[in-house]
Amino acid sequence: MIFRIAWRNIWRNKMRSLVIILSVAIGLFAGIAVLALYKGILNSRIHTVIYAETGHLQIHHKLFKQDNEPQFIIQQGEALLAALKKNSSVKLFTTRSITQGMLATSTGSAGVKINGIIPGKEDEVSGLGNKIIAGKGFDTTKKNQVFIGKKLADKMKLKTGGKLVLTFTDVDANMISAAFRVAAIYQSDNAPLDERNVYVRLSELNQMLTIGNAFHEICVILQNDALTDIVRQQLQQQYPEQLIESWKDISPETDLMIDTVDTTSYIIIGIILFALAFGIVNTMLMAILERTQEIGVMMALGMNRIRLFLLVFLETVFLTLIGTPVGLAVAWILTLYYQRHGLNWSSAGEEVMRSFGFSSMIYPEFPTEKIIAVIGIVLFTALASCIYPAIKALQLQPVEALRK
Amino acid sequence: MKTVIDAHNISKTYNKENIPVYAVNNVHLHINQGEFTALVGPSGSGKTTLLNLIGGLDKPDEGKIEINGIDITAMSPNKLIDFRLLNIGFVFQSFNLIPVLTAKENVEFIMQLQGIPKAARDERINNLFKQIDLVDKMDSRPAQLSGGQQQRVAVARALASKPQFVLADEPTANLDTASASNLLDIMALLNKEENITFIFSTHDARVIERARRVITLVDGRIVSDTAKVAVHEE
Repeated sequence: MIFRIAWRNIWRNKMRSLVIILSVAIGLFAGIAVLALYKGILNSRIHTVIYAETGHLQIHHKLFKQDNEPQFIIQQGEALLAALKKNSSVKLFTTRSITQGMLATSTGSAGVKINGIIPGKEDEVSGLGNKIIAGKGFDTTKKNQVFIGKKLADKMKLKTGGKLVLTFTDVDANMISAAFRVAAIYQSDNAPLDERNVYVRLSELNQMLTIGNAFHEICVILQNDALTDIVRQQLQQQYPEQLIESWKDISPETDLMIDTVDTTSYIIIGIILFALAFGIVNTMLMAILERTQEIGVMMALGMNRIRLFLLVFLETVFLTLIGTPVGLAVAWILTLYYQRHGLNWSSAGEEVMRSFGFSSMIYPEFPTEKIIAVIGIVLFTALASCIYPAIKALQLQPVEALRK
Repeated sequence: MKTVIDAHNISKTYNKENIPVYAVNNVHLHINQGEFTALVGPSGSGKTTLLNLIGGLDKPDEGKIEINGIDITAMSPNKLIDFRLLNIGFVFQSFNLIPVLTAKENVEFIMQLQGIPKAARDERINNLFKQIDLVDKMDSRPAQLSGGQQQRVAVARALASKPQFVLADEPTANLDTASASNLLDIMALLNKEENITFIFSTHDARVIERARRVITLVDGRIVSDTAKVAVHEE
């Protein structure tokens, strides 16, 4: 009966209840939208990190990462490549030679990371070919060609066909300078990486570094993301002399982001619902004050304080729970739409997004795994919001309430 | 005859700090099972306060009230709520039915609070609605009922819990003559047939006329206590 009374009570003032229900729905929609955006941004960032920057795993000589000296090539690299080929968890891999150097043009110079790549394989692993915005890529008939990022090209005032000089040291610490022509300008979702990385053919770089067919890095793409830690551990056990890192090790800021985004999203939802709670408190308080005499009668007739608290709580829960599916449904429909069509934020600052390594095209994802937690937060808000009005109701003395 | 209510030297004073108002002043009262009693007196004489004290809705400043030998003045507020639920029926001047419940649900609500099983509730509700002659209005909300019908439902609600006694505060004050007469007929019948004890506060001559005992209050004191049969005999 208390359920029935609570349910009917909330419809005694339809407009007031609808305002609260809509507030809850809008608040929840806003919260879910934030979660969906965060999830979309995060997943997009993880996808970019894995499939355009680091791969799932990277293998290096144990000392290579200390100061990127070219002499730290991967030992027994061919055997390692053969093992990766046989590993069913491994989908793709490519090798890279890497050295640090200076890029110089007539207008200036910049420190760069020179990546020697195998063009076809590199396109498969990191999609470098898809990022080209000017030029056609490596021409097999021409030597000493280089890909540079758009940000670096803008900074150095370089265009395709433009000439630049790369200076670096070989394994014997001899200074090497070589002239290259810009074969292509690429643009990724990570402007700082575009500014720092240039790509040349692995064979040409190896020749200059005098390392023969060796390489410094193996970039591995796995069959799926969930295999990352398992395969990393397996490979590390098999090849203890190599440094095997996952994308989380290479890009710790992304891993940190995963950890913090959840907390941040819940805090945002908490703030939204906290603001909403004041509306709910106000509504419930008005409802209690309007029904003082009725509550007095109930108490006079024998309704105890626990039942009275339950009545106020249920009314609050009903108000919030009616708004909850409405908010969830609207959020789900809109998320589904934008998950398919994407949300273009380029007008809101494409450059800023890129400078932080994010794509300006966001594909929100409905945070299904967080819905129970969100409903929990909503119920907690309902409980917290009903406490003050309930205390007010419980403080009523029947004899005084009956006089009103 | 069994004593249901035994009030010893009870007093209730309001506004003690400034100008004290002695709403109930050193009242002794004994009500026996099956009495049909009217508390009469001018406005402000303390009728409602006395009913509230007997009903456990308020506590006296002095004295004690025993219901069936149990001292209710020593009870905690929570215990008093339970005591009222199981022992006392109330009928209010303004009917005070729960507006969101139907007539039937208003009556059933009390029994549900008492934890009476559904089948027993249904049987009792049917009997009560037959007695108040509102079987066809069981599913009506209070707003769809006349004042007289609402007050009859309120009487059924008061009786639903099979209380030791029913306290009715000015039950006919908001009723027209026909409705008031009908209500009094029903209460008199219930008193006669089921031996239910009724105590009214009233200054309605129609009620006073039907009461078998009339207690008159002036300034919080009982100035007369008359059993009508005794008067007639005199």
